[in-house]
Amino acid sequence: MRLKMLCLPALLLMLQAGATEDLLQFESAEQQQLYRQLTAELRCPKCQNQNIADSNAVVAVDMRNKTLELVRQGQNHDQVIDYMKQRYGDFVHYQPPFQLSTVWLWLLPLLAVLTLGFTVFRRSKASQTTAVDDRAEPEDLSDVAAQLQAMIDEASAKARHKPEE
Amino acid sequence: MRKALFYVPLAAFLALSLFLLSGLFSDPRDHGSALIEKPLPAFSLPDLQQPARLVTAADLKGEVTLLNVWGLWCPTCNAELGFLTELRQQGVRIVGLYYVQPVDASFGDTFDINQLRLDVQDKLTEQGDPYLMNIVDEKRSLIFDLGVTGAPETFLIDRNGVIRHHHVGDINPQNWPKIQQLYQQLQQGGSDAP
Repeated sequence: MRLKMLCLPALLLMLQAGATEDLLQFESAEQQQLYRQLTAELRCPKCQNQNIADSNAVVAVDMRNKTLELVRQGQNHDQVIDYMKQRYGDFVHYQPPFQLSTVWLWLLPLLAVLTLGFTVFRRSKASQTTAVDDRAEPEDLSDVAAQLQAMIDEASAKARHKPEE
Repeated sequence: MRKALFYVPLAAFLALSLFLLSGLFSDPRDHGSALIEKPLPAFSLPDLQQPARLVTAADLKGEVTLLNVWGLWCPTCNAELGFLTELRQQGVRIVGLYYVQPVDASFGDTFDINQLRLDVQDKLTEQGDPYLMNIVDEKRSLIFDLGVTGAPETFLIDRNGVIRHHHVGDINPQNWPKIQQLYQQLQQGGSDAP
């Protein structure tokens, strides 16, 4: 317990040390927000699936610095993204562009939902027709009952005649 | 009709399996280059041999050139030097773009181009010198404009200074024939363009 008590202030000190490292200066809160958004959206071209905020690869650090520079110049979100795409291609942005080669990203889920919807619709229709069949059954049953009754009548008639023989 | 519908999930499963299977054979580093068919970005960077002389994009025009991004710190680049030297002996024009890694000033590191020249000279006398010249990109500005993600990477540039191919990774006897084909096409047919 005492050890834990000692650890806590040490941990707090560590947090503070981490916070003073890499202190970036922004003119406004909007620019800071934009920088955070951009570094989260831009993908490190060297790493497998890390954004540039998350990576310390040289190219990711260079891209962060360039993003900071462009944001400080007052460029907006799309301008910075375009700047990066001109150099590192569409790969660099986590939001893929809508074009012929990427159209399946939108079409495929849509097709899947439509196919599923169609299947479910057909199935529910099919079960409705079975329900109609079920309702038809009592008529058939009364038919069977009539036949049974006839058989019983016949048998009992025979039984009535038997003792006389 | 109902029978055919029965096979739809199977077909979908097979299609998905084939798609995922093809992923096993694809190279995750290969995600295309944004600069194909675009002119070499403008730059003005020092020549390693004579730092006072600034090399520009115009200096690379006139002949089909391989622009090879490399650095002493990069083991694959060093391994590639031997084969590139062979290519130079066959008459391929190779220009080096030296990738300077960031120096951390807070550790007292500084960049010294004269020291770099000596180190590079040592390395190239030892391993072979494939380079017509070396462009030093201290701030990685041209490297950034070219969309370079690391080293080694090589650009095939035609006579008019237009980038025709971007190769990520080393050039070796296995993958050279493909690049060579492009190189020879450009050498034969590239002169009629303006």
